Amino acid sequence: MKFLKRARPPAGGSPRALVVALDGVPYTYMRRLFEAGEMPNMRAITERGELAQMDTSMPNVSSVAWASFMTGANPGKHNIYGFLDRRPGTRRTYIPTSRDLRAPTILEILSAAGKRVFSMNVPVTYPPRPVNGTVIGCFLSPNLEKASPTPEVFRTLEAIGYQVDADPWLARHNKADFLPHLVEVFEARMEATRHFWRQERWDFFMTHIMETDRLHHFFWEEMENEDPRYAEAFLAFYRRVDEALGELRSWADDDTTLVVLSDHGFCSIRQEVHVNTWLAQNGYLRYATNEPKTLADIDPTSIAYSLDPGRIYLNVRGREADGHIEPGEAYDRTRSELATALAGMTDPENGAPMVRRVATREELYSGSAYEAAPDLVLDMHDGYDAKGPFGKPDLCFKGDALVGMHTTPDALLSVSDLPLLGRRPNIMDVVPTILERVGLPVPEQMDGRSLLRTAAAHA
Amino acid sequence: MVTSDGRARAFTVWFTGLSGAGKTTISRIVVGRLKERGLEVEPLDGDVIRTHLSAGLGFSKEDRDANVRRIGWVCELLNRHDVVAVVAAISPYREVRDEVRERIGSFVEVYLEAPVELLAQRDPKGLYRKAQAGELSGFSGVDDPYEPPLHAEVTCHTDGRETPEQSAARVVATLEELGYLPPASTPDGEAAYTADEESEVTDRLRDLGYL
Repeated sequence: MKFLKRARPPAGGSPRALVVALDGVPYTYMRRLFEAGEMPNMRAITERGELAQMDTSMPNVSSVAWASFMTGANPGKHNIYGFLDRRPGTRRTYIPTSRDLRAPTILEILSAAGKRVFSMNVPVTYPPRPVNGTVIGCFLSPNLEKASPTPEVFRTLEAIGYQVDADPWLARHNKADFLPHLVEVFEARMEATRHFWRQERWDFFMTHIMETDRLHHFFWEEMENEDPRYAEAFLAFYRRVDEALGELRSWADDDTTLVVLSDHGFCSIRQEVHVNTWLAQNGYLRYATNEPKTLADIDPTSIAYSLDPGRIYLNVRGREADGHIEPGEAYDRTRSELATALAGMTDPENGAPMVRRVATREELYSGSAYEAAPDLVLDMHDGYDAKGPFGKPDLCFKGDALVGMHTTPDALLSVSDLPLLGRRPNIMDVVPTILERVGLPVPEQMDGRSLLRTAAAHA
Repeated sequence: MVTSDGRARAFTVWFTGLSGAGKTTISRIVVGRLKERGLEVEPLDGDVIRTHLSAGLGFSKEDRDANVRRIGWVCELLNRHDVVAVVAAISPYREVRDEVRERIGSFVEVYLEAPVELLAQRDPKGLYRKAQAGELSGFSGVDDPYEPPLHAEVTCHTDGRETPEQSAARVVATLEELGYLPPASTPDGEAAYTADEESEVTDRLRDLGYL
């Protein structure tokens, strides 16, 4: 049989990768669907490999997780710590984008090796950086034109009816209308995926489905509670995603490594937790105005502040604007006291602990962007969603619009023809694995390790 | 310099300073930072060079100059093949450093400044003690001159005023400023968003519960 395989003319030739990102799809939920007999196409995909539970970044928001995926590196190297960050030495905040990404991505590494690459909608690819191929920016693009790398791509996407993201404002104001809108955004995303897949034989092709994450943010609790208004629609959406996976699977020939992955898990929100309110109530944060809204409104005497989700920054001298905590012994002492206090945060309604673990920056990060790292990061118990607004009167809040929150240990990964991973994968391991599959060396700056090598080592 | 596709062309970073000033420590951090950015980098450490490339050379002015010229020549070769060279060598004489700078072109000089009294006090290798006791001769800063650069691109104060991490960060920042590295984060002038766009994306993030 080996002879036959060799004798066959190369089907386009070199090994390539097709990557499907399902934002926010939990491993445990996928297993539940499998057990219920759902997702036949996803099951077929994983039967050629394995469906594995995967660890993700801390914090577990999409910009950080996908940056860790794209670079195979930790935030200490790629410099993306959340959807909001502050300019060093100032209290001005900004939205980190691809311009802030300090490590090379798989798109750039493959481009440098002469490979043709395509990616669509992967956080944090706005503004699209130059590559040997096409990058369509992520949901952080202000509009479709800016998401497009060229006017031609813009016209193509516009003709398809492609949208950068579903409109979350609609979800907050009219959940019933949001569902058909979400389906429409998903269908256009798939249509664009089809269009660009057919365009040429890409060496690396990645499409990112954000709609699953949006579905979860606004309907996870209804799904869990089997709410008659939405539970069926929730499942119907997943069935549609599975059909799309079936189509994507049919594109993968023998030379194609098909990767399906998500970037975090999901659970229902019990309480949104306003960490800055806790800091203010416990004497760590003071405001300089009566109606504080942003980081600029904190008083210089403050000891610490928080940015979403659960990133804590001490007001360190030389690093923060008007910082006063001396690096060294004073910093260590203050931080350790604060960490102990934060670990004791409880739900005001029932006294339940809200914080699973308080991690320090040195436990989580290393690299050239280390200076920008938060001093502490909260790992919350499921149900307690750490938020970053300033000036909220109440520590906790439970709304009915936003009902789902991210969880850390429950992302999923499937790589075709990769059974028995041998160890628990981390999202940083996926790109090294793909590089090995397409026959390229894994750059030494990457923190992730190929899962193939591990599989071989365990064979 | 950065080419049109955003990739850096090779260059030489040359750390100069007295023994014990932190050349090896800081240059190693810088090498790591450059590798993280995806560059091919070759560290050239003075102590290592003297055991190989410059074995047999002593510490006379002529030999020291020959040593620096040899290192410079290797840098030229590396740079020509798109490999960044990071040199850590005392290289005490200004004239030959400038000669090498001239030949290489893409040359960033980093001066590690610390008073010799402090270095003699720290003296982790015990070299200053030996030099002061006369057991070592021709020791830069003790019985041989060290000529600080007049126009170093970066001067790091390794007398305790800044940590090695901070010094390395300043070197990397200078490489960005000089256009040898693409900027890691965008200065305000070329932000990814206009003010209107930023407020629109901020609203979206807020509606998604991400702020």
